[in-house]
Amino acid sequence: MRPFAYAVPATLDEALRALSEAGPGAKLLAGGTTLYDLMKLDVETPPAVVDIRALPELAGVDTAGASELSFGAGAPMADVAADPVLRRDYPALAESLAKAASQQLRNVATVGGNLLQRTRCPYFRGGLAFPCNKRRPGSGCAAIGGLDRGHALLGGSDACIATYPGDWAVALIAFDAILDVAGPRGSRTLPLAGLHVEPGDRPDREHTLAWDEIVTRIRVPVTAAGRGSTYHKVRDRESYAFALASAAVAVTLGAGGTVEECRVAVGGVATRPWRCHEAERELVGAVLDRGSARRAGETAFAEARPGRQNAFRIELGVRTVAEALRIAGERAER
Amino acid sequence: MTNAEMPRVGAREKVTGAARYGADHTPPGVAYAMPVVATVGKGRITRLDTTAAEAVSGVLLVLSHLDDLGIVPAGYIMAGGYAFQSLQPLLDDRVAYRGQPIALVVADTLVAAAEAAGLVRAVYEEEPFAVELDAAGTETVLQEEALPLPFLADVVVGDADGAYERSPLRVDAVYEAGPQHQVPMELIGGVAEWRGDTLVVHEGSQSVGALRGGLARQLGLDPDRVEVIAPYVGGGFGQKNSLQPHLAPLAVAARRLGRPVKLVLPRADTFHAASFRPVSRHRVRLGADRSGRLLAAIHEVDQQASRHDLLPASYTEITSRLYDIRNFRGRQRHVRTDVQTPGYMRAPFEHPAAFALESAVDELAHAAGRDPVELRLANDAVKDPVTGKPFSSRHLAACLRRGAELFGWAGRSPDPCSMRAADGTPVGWGVAAGAYPAMTVPVLARVRAGADGGVLVEAGGHEMGQGMTSALVSAVAQDLGIGAGSVRAVVGDTRVAPHHLTAGAWGTHSTLLAVHAALRELRERLGVPPEGPVDVAAAVAATGEREVVTEAVTRGPGQPPEAVDRMRAGLVAPDGPDYPDHVAFSFVAHFVEVRVEPAAPRVRVSRVVSVADCGRVASPVTADAQVRGAVVWGIGAALSEHSEVDPRFGGFLNADLADYVIPVNADVGAIEVDFIGEPDLTLNPMGVKTLGEVALVGVAPAIANAVFHATGRRPRRLPIRIEDLL
Repeated sequence: MRPFAYAVPATLDEALRALSEAGPGAKLLAGGTTLYDLMKLDVETPPAVVDIRALPELAGVDTAGASELSFGAGAPMADVAADPVLRRDYPALAESLAKAASQQLRNVATVGGNLLQRTRCPYFRGGLAFPCNKRRPGSGCAAIGGLDRGHALLGGSDACIATYPGDWAVALIAFDAILDVAGPRGSRTLPLAGLHVEPGDRPDREHTLAWDEIVTRIRVPVTAAGRGSTYHKVRDRESYAFALASAAVAVTLGAGGTVEECRVAVGGVATRPWRCHEAERELVGAVLDRGSARRAGETAFAEARPGRQNAFRIELGVRTVAEALRIAGERAER
Repeated sequence: MTNAEMPRVGAREKVTGAARYGADHTPPGVAYAMPVVATVGKGRITRLDTTAAEAVSGVLLVLSHLDDLGIVPAGYIMAGGYAFQSLQPLLDDRVAYRGQPIALVVADTLVAAAEAAGLVRAVYEEEPFAVELDAAGTETVLQEEALPLPFLADVVVGDADGAYERSPLRVDAVYEAGPQHQVPMELIGGVAEWRGDTLVVHEGSQSVGALRGGLARQLGLDPDRVEVIAPYVGGGFGQKNSLQPHLAPLAVAARRLGRPVKLVLPRADTFHAASFRPVSRHRVRLGADRSGRLLAAIHEVDQQASRHDLLPASYTEITSRLYDIRNFRGRQRHVRTDVQTPGYMRAPFEHPAAFALESAVDELAHAAGRDPVELRLANDAVKDPVTGKPFSSRHLAACLRRGAELFGWAGRSPDPCSMRAADGTPVGWGVAAGAYPAMTVPVLARVRAGADGGVLVEAGGHEMGQGMTSALVSAVAQDLGIGAGSVRAVVGDTRVAPHHLTAGAWGTHSTLLAVHAALRELRERLGVPPEGPVDVAAAVAATGEREVVTEAVTRGPGQPPEAVDRMRAGLVAPDGPDYPDHVAFSFVAHFVEVRVEPAAPRVRVSRVVSVADCGRVASPVTADAQVRGAVVWGIGAALSEHSEVDPRFGGFLNADLADYVIPVNADVGAIEVDFIGEPDLTLNPMGVKTLGEVALVGVAPAIANAVFHATGRRPRRLPIRIEDLL
């Protein structure tokens, strides 16, 4: 870890100023569960850290609104995971948080910070001796042709196949979440689907936020599909593990079990949170049964590009989507 | 308070944080060290630039091969030395493996040391290397040729190859396990401090005597000038069983700076700084008659080695004895690769060996159409098939019978894929047996009886969470008929006694043996009867002394006195399991229920019953915990733990606790533990055999056999992961 300047602004305006003054390269500190880890690994070497943990503008969760759910970016993951309304009406959102990391990490990690958790690719984390285009653009990608059991099947490029590791953003993207973003040039909104970018030939670029912007709030439009939803996560152990494959699924069913509304996103298998619109289109109007659920999974992974060790996660991903649809279908009101 | 109710000694200190582990020691003026490690798989350092590191504010010293450290290697523990490997880094420009230390930075603060360590730049001349068994550039050697010692020779009984060829039922399969790392919670590290001419070391260790003897050799000191203190060890599992190469440079730094220096290795470094369980490949051939009666077994093993040392393998020691096999041939080979020297990790040979043999036995039972418990009972041995000697005690059949009863084995449907849970989930039931040698080591124990009625035990031994101090306190309290609160035990401290390595499950009964002898002498000195309760205060007062001190040194049955000299020097000197008049092993049987989730075929261990034959149970609370812990270890070993190797880079890639997957509580189902409890008075007067290692042996194959029963798929490589069943 290198020495860094540290600021603790009291308000959002002060934080934006502090960030602007610190300049590009400065990092925001919320829960610190990823930032400190990456600073210890020398992956992140910010000259300045702006601590936004206590900002009042980032606090608060409202799941009772008539048109939308609203999550302050600074709300701890554990608090949101335990929200009774969310657990009842949007189990996919609550489960995506409850199944992430460990209780201790969820107690301090925030729902805003979690969106931009960086990849767990061991070559990325392992030090400068490993070629990594994300860490040192142009140096190559050690994961391609290497130990890629956990690497992305979807959205990778010849430069990078690092998996986006988060769960929450996968569930949020299924529900068309929107972000409120504050910056020195004013506030804007950004669909979550527009936040993360695929690696392409610039794996070091992971999102579309400007360096001087702060995500203040996450909003989710109210939908009846929330009740019939789940975040199904398959991993090597029961907790404190990233997904080998996960699926956020929400459905409403009509007469005879016909799918009316449908949302499907997959996690742990792609370079960014991955919405599966094609699978959704196929399902709408179909009777939700084992066959249609399986076909939706196959469609979700139709474009998958396996490497050396991760091909099994295509079949696993297909089954994970199908299983999530089964669970969601049981929960959906008819 | 009965023995069974006695709580774990030190439990309150541990849960309240009062227990001080090695690196918790923070003397005034302490400086902090941080290693720099090699980032190539093999080669030579052609340039080492420490300028930027030395410029960091607070940096005091950068040690490397460019400097003359004035130390010599401590020697390999299994070749007359003290260290986990013969190679001592920082002495020359050679890089033998990725992750090898190449410099040590010392600074006023941990932050400065870490920052500076990140700024040391090395340029290498790289060389080809091999890190996998089948890679080009490895070298394979036969153990009995490379290590020509009688006890390391291949086990050969009868004519195994001929008997195998003539057998009507045959199993021939290859199994593989490892590599794995011990990953104890307590990181590797400690504090080196000079008090005048005496070096004082605080470091969690299973062998304070080896640290003392090894540092004395490395630094050219009289061993009396080295004190090593380790009252608690935060988990060892073999990782801390010898001197590690950071310590001598740490002592050099402390001497140069004239202040104490602390080093705690980052978790990632611990994957390369100490030993690990090597990968091993086993070809097992079993021949049997049509009923499944074993006629022959051939067990051939290839074990990963480093280039610089050979870890003596003893896989066939238990596979030749678990059953009554009259024709057995073992063959153990070493495959030299470019890694640090692999070593001892809980049941180092027995866990993989049992995975191989007990999987093969399950394959045989399936082929013979016999119940796997019945088949094992039909092949039980009454005497040692290798030496012809009796077992000191052997209750494996009782373990199998009681385990079967507790588990409800009679309700098992024999065919694979034939059992399901109420929700339709495939269920499998598996069984496997295990054995582990009962070895004994020389121990010095001292008993101090005070006029206040208190008794202090000072003994060679280590408390690494396994419960040695609980067993000692319990033994003394019971023997003298006094409250456990009046007894204290000090172990892991070279200032009070010489210490043999505590490993191989020999610790508790070996130390108890010495304490038992010291207590006999204490009774004589106090003039009280050889048995029965003692009023310690009155008896001591009657002698007119303030304290009565007795001391005893014990060793294994028939063990030569020179073994005691080796113990005093901090060298290894285990005796057994082949004693003059008997062979001694502990035994265990594990019964496992797994559920294989239908959507993603993930193996969940829902239920385990483990029954051990470890002689008399010395300390019920900690013995129960030992077995439970071993079952959790077995679940990890069978289903998730694997040190990942990228042959293009060398070293181990998943070097943290997120990516090296040990089980969490939610991965562990119900565990029921029972003991046969028959004292083994042939082995020693306490009747105690060994437990800490045998408890793990057989867990993995019981899980693998249950997976076969649930799915019809035979796992032959550990860990068994989703992709193996998809």
